[in-house]
Amino acid sequence: MVDENEIVWLVKKDAVADMIKNGKRSDGRKAYEYRPIEIITDYVKRAEGSAYIKLGNTQILVGVKMDVGQPYSDSPNMGTLITNAELVPLASPVFQPGPPNENAIELARVVDRGIRESKMIDFEKLCITEGEEVWNVLIDIHVLDFDGNLIDAATLAAVKALWTAKMPRYEDGKVIYEDKKDSLPVSKKPVACTFARFGNVSILDPSLEEEKSMDGKITITTTDDGKICAVQKSGITKISVPELENLIDVALEKGNEIRKTYLG
Amino acid sequence: MKRFVIPGEKLEGRPNAHYYREGNNYYSQVFGILEKKDNFLKIVPLKGKYMPHKGDYVIGIVIDVKYGGVIVDINSSHFAFLPTKNSLNYKDIVSAEVIDIDEVRNATLGNERKLFGGEIIEINPVRIPRVIGKNNSMLKLLKDKTGCSFFVGRNGRIWIKGKNSPILADAIFKIEREAHTSGLTERIEKYLDEMLKG
Amino acid sequence: MGMKKEGLKLFENGKRIDGRAYDELRPIKMEVGVLKRADGSCYLEWGGNKVLAAVYGPRECLPRHTQDPLKARINYRYNMAPFSTDERVRPGPSRRSIEISKLSKEALEHVIFTEYFPKTSIDIFVEILQADAGTRCAGLTAASLALADAGIPMKSLITACAAGKIDGKVVLDLGKLEDNFGEADLPIAYMPRTKELVYLQMDGDLTKDEFKEALRLALKGCDEIYRIQRDALKKAYEGEVNGR
Repeated sequence: MVDENEIVWLVKKDAVADMIKNGKRSDGRKAYEYRPIEIITDYVKRAEGSAYIKLGNTQILVGVKMDVGQPYSDSPNMGTLITNAELVPLASPVFQPGPPNENAIELARVVDRGIRESKMIDFEKLCITEGEEVWNVLIDIHVLDFDGNLIDAATLAAVKALWTAKMPRYEDGKVIYEDKKDSLPVSKKPVACTFARFGNVSILDPSLEEEKSMDGKITITTTDDGKICAVQKSGITKISVPELENLIDVALEKGNEIRKTYLG
Repeated sequence: MKRFVIPGEKLEGRPNAHYYREGNNYYSQVFGILEKKDNFLKIVPLKGKYMPHKGDYVIGIVIDVKYGGVIVDINSSHFAFLPTKNSLNYKDIVSAEVIDIDEVRNATLGNERKLFGGEIIEINPVRIPRVIGKNNSMLKLLKDKTGCSFFVGRNGRIWIKGKNSPILADAIFKIEREAHTSGLTERIEKYLDEMLKG
Repeated sequence: MGMKKEGLKLFENGKRIDGRAYDELRPIKMEVGVLKRADGSCYLEWGGNKVLAAVYGPRECLPRHTQDPLKARINYRYNMAPFSTDERVRPGPSRRSIEISKLSKEALEHVIFTEYFPKTSIDIFVEILQADAGTRCAGLTAASLALADAGIPMKSLITACAAGKIDGKVVLDLGKLEDNFGEADLPIAYMPRTKELVYLQMDGDLTKDEFKEALRLALKGCDEIYRIQRDALKKAYEGEVNGR
């Protein structure tokens, strides 16, 4: 199906791909270079934590809310995490109102996996009464302007929001949102690095133009201790084992740079 | 010599069809049988949808009536269009020739004949050549023995009519099942003789 | 992944909880052409997984506005039967199954010659009848065979397998307990001839060296499974070549 709003990308596709295979990007970036990043924390005062991020022209607002609920039966002494993403119709002519489609679901799940598997949140410390009451952490990703690479931007903003969030007080079975003081029990700083694939060429942080022309992409999420906590291949691409190992090296290095500069 | 090939399997040379090329090597696109006769390689797929070719005779069922013609289901990935002034209706059975295919595989039919009564049986389209046989040998055998009138479409559909049509249908299904075995014509002849005697 | 259970040892004295060695697959069985109505089909058992895959098409893609004028549209539906797990699975697509379906579809779309069938759809249905960890790999492996059985032209079969980490040890093909209480899971699918990956996911925590080792093990598992796939295809049509 060709969306008429997308037809212009279809026409440009081959030219963009050819250029990248020849080692050039239309905005002059190097293969493994991020667009400028700008983050504003505490953007929404009502939320327990929030971060606005601008990555190139991609704009995302991430909010962290908390409430109290029952734990899952297989982990009675742990708090829970739910990550949701919404591709708000104002962000792109192709985003439609309605329940999340497979792209929104994949975005939410990749961000969730990076945060969850990095073990940055100590879920045991979010237990109030074992088997009965625990804190739920709810991350909502609101895409405001879609210019490519939502995963990296959303992960960075979500991690920043979790680090700056303040927990409400819980008293006599009530959550008191007016009184927020304690930080969340967080330790690590996972960073997602997404590479767009053009044939056998990989570039970091694809813009929308690049995403519309790529075969697919690979996201690698790493943590401060030099570990890999999540990987996802998406789209109609393939990758050789040596190239994958190369991308892991790049993701570990770039992850550290991002951590130092934006999550310091 | 015959052997199986599976998608992506490297071939010793360039076959008649159903292959792709990478560098100087040829690979099979399908799951099928590779027949090798004096350096000539032929891939026969074991299954697959019917793909219309110009000149094929097919059996179609009318599914929609449009201005200037009818839309016909020809047991393929696409419906076909049959421009005609004859009055054809929904559910009519026709035999027709594929007279044109456009670049997106839409087929146009012609030389149609409406088939009255009888029934349609469907078999795997890749087995149709065996139902026809070398120089129509199998076709002739089936016709002579059963006395049925029938019409074999390249698209895996066979229209049959006549007193012995149940036996004919069984024989055709037997051909489909045993399409790649040798000595098939003799076995079918024996089978028909036995069935028609009882 | 990552649940805790006190005292549970997943890897002890060189053996895993179900007695397997670190690089050993669970038993795998495949049968091709098991459904009469489907254009292609496959039944697969892998450890405690029981999976059915069916392929319909290429067929006219309806409704019309979903047609692609240049190629076939691939639909892949991964679905867990409600009774496939201890706790009943709520019928209908979940976020998990939507993600798996999307990634599996993309893996297959890479090998199918979709440009041969413009404006059509090729519909792949994968039903998990009984689940025992590794269902996405089992489903994709079965789906690839069902496509070959349907006579769909493809660049290659694809083969899927996972490796993971339990008690700090990198092992092949996680079982259910290992999946629940292990530390990492890396499901992949590859094209057997070129060994390039077309499906790739990972969650948990692995160092770079562990990741490489897991990748190596998963590829080794894929090699073994590919042989089973090939044999299953040939077995289904053996009579047709050699005579009965």
